[in-house]
Amino acid sequence: MDYTDLTALAPLIVTAFVAVLIVVVLSVRRVHRVVLGVTLVGLVLAGLSIMLAVPLAPRQVTVLLIIDSYSLFYFGLLLAAAVVVSLLAFSYLEQRRENREEFYVLLVIATVGAMVLVASNHFVSLFLGLEVLSIGIYGLIAYLRNTPFAVEAGIKYLILAGASSAFLVFGMALIYGQTGSMQFGAMAAKLSGDVHLGLVLPGLALMVTGVGFKLAVVPFHLWTPEVYQGAPTPVTAFIATVSKGGMLALLLRFFTEFEALDLGPILLAFALIAIASMLAGNLLALLENNVKRLLAYSSIAHVGYVLVAMLAGGGLAAEAVTFYLVAYFVSTLAAFGVVTVLSDRDREAEQIEDYRGLFWRRPWLAALLTVSLLSLAGIPLTAGFLGKFYVIAAGVGAAQWALVIVLVAGSAIGLFYYLRWVVVMFGQLPTSEAQWSWPRPQALWGGAGLALAALAVSILWLGVYPAHLSGLIQACIPG
Amino acid sequence: MLPVFWIAAIVAIVSTVMVITRANAIHALLYLIVSLLAVAVMFMVLGAPFVAMLEIIVYAGAIMVLFVFVIMLLNLGPKGVEQERRWLKGGVWGGPCVLTFILLVEVGVMLSRSGIAESPAIVPVPPKEVGIALFGPYLIGVQLAGILLLGGLVAAYHIGRPEPRDEEKPT
Repeated sequence: MDYTDLTALAPLIVTAFVAVLIVVVLSVRRVHRVVLGVTLVGLVLAGLSIMLAVPLAPRQVTVLLIIDSYSLFYFGLLLAAAVVVSLLAFSYLEQRRENREEFYVLLVIATVGAMVLVASNHFVSLFLGLEVLSIGIYGLIAYLRNTPFAVEAGIKYLILAGASSAFLVFGMALIYGQTGSMQFGAMAAKLSGDVHLGLVLPGLALMVTGVGFKLAVVPFHLWTPEVYQGAPTPVTAFIATVSKGGMLALLLRFFTEFEALDLGPILLAFALIAIASMLAGNLLALLENNVKRLLAYSSIAHVGYVLVAMLAGGGLAAEAVTFYLVAYFVSTLAAFGVVTVLSDRDREAEQIEDYRGLFWRRPWLAALLTVSLLSLAGIPLTAGFLGKFYVIAAGVGAAQWALVIVLVAGSAIGLFYYLRWVVVMFGQLPTSEAQWSWPRPQALWGGAGLALAALAVSILWLGVYPAHLSGLIQACIPG
Repeated sequence: MLPVFWIAAIVAIVSTVMVITRANAIHALLYLIVSLLAVAVMFMVLGAPFVAMLEIIVYAGAIMVLFVFVIMLLNLGPKGVEQERRWLKGGVWGGPCVLTFILLVEVGVMLSRSGIAESPAIVPVPPKEVGIALFGPYLIGVQLAGILLLGGLVAAYHIGRPEPRDEEKPT
């Protein structure tokens, strides 16, 4: 490791340093605002330090991490999502009796884990990144420890994530035993010379289990609704975006490295997982009246859509996956953001009935939620539409007809429950006084308002004029 | 060395099956210790004596003893003494003892044959090489493990912190 290596790692080092710095600040004095300020400044500085690393890319830093334009792009995306989540979390935590400051330590640590994940091309960094991400998320899910639901969700996630990590490690061990290497590139080179795949297929099958759990795809999705519902809403937004996005970025890198190989059974397994996720996610969401669970099921379906693009392979696939993820990030963060700011200290705004007539009381929030839901549904002029367009183009280009047909059918089903929520918002105001009084009219904190406004602008901007982003993605991702 | 490996592997599997099937936590833990010892013997056969020692010191030693202590400390008082007496009745410790004895014989055989790795394919990895690998190519891994521990510490502190007594917001 020399000076150049450290410069290339600057975004990671700065982010990890922020976590330590917050702990130091906490030990001097607990002031929520100061901690938020340190977090935001630190994350923004980490984002700016990406610029230092850009001229050095691509660079392999030790055997563990690869700093190329692809990982730098995802660093930026993950850091931006972390900034939005901490802004949303501030007013949410301000109303609560808990110690609020540790939240930011765990949030930053989990972000470090996701960043390691997107930069890893070695099993050791993959596993360590995943565990750092998971341990931050355990703490975040159970953060409001006085609500029994949160603790239950935290324990559930802890046990299931532990079990899935065991599958992942076992799979890695089998692959390492067959190839004698833990680095993706070396493994692929070794396997392309060796016709006999041997233990690699069982190893990959075990790894799919571990990865599938993190992505919450069918049939590894059973934890998703409970954890999404039980976790504090900003944390749910974090799990839906940063945790899934990090894993998908890693999967994309893995697929690209192994593209030359004939991994038929694994691709078939992923195709079946994608179909099952698109169908089950959308169908289960139809019956939900709890909006956090509804978004949980819809996120299962969205990962299914991303997998369609990933299975298509080729240059367009990487571009489509990345564009879709950016669109999914902004839309999901906006939707959970509105749920967060409507929640008060007694309960979360999680029943769909809570949103009845929201437009007549909080027109801006209702408009933002409508835009984000339309984007998730894939209506034109929003980011989600172009994301879906990209995915379908990739699928059609690779002649994956079955996947594309299921994708279109799934999106049609999806329209129903997204629009149902929108219709409720524009519906009649409740007549009784009790329903009127909730959600309580509370002022929107400026920081959260700023974050939400930025998300709304990005959804519309990406939907109307995507050339900037797609140009950036094309530059960052070698086709 | 192959028979030694296979016998240790069978001991590991048998004891792990017993861990899962025991209804009593203490009995399961005794078998878990045996399972970890068997894995340590396997590491030794494969030419990794340092990892074998770590397995015993860290897992079978520190972590398992902590487990056993916590479970025993949860049942203090005369009722607990009675329960512990029942736990330590004959037959309960018989199984783990037999399995451990097999492992002990194996280690004895290995030591008497002067040198662990007889097969030329197996090159023992001394502690120095492990250290050089950890603080050379895997340096970032060590640092990430540090961040992992910090995260675990902060999460455990927050969730395990005693309740503030008054209704006031803690600041």
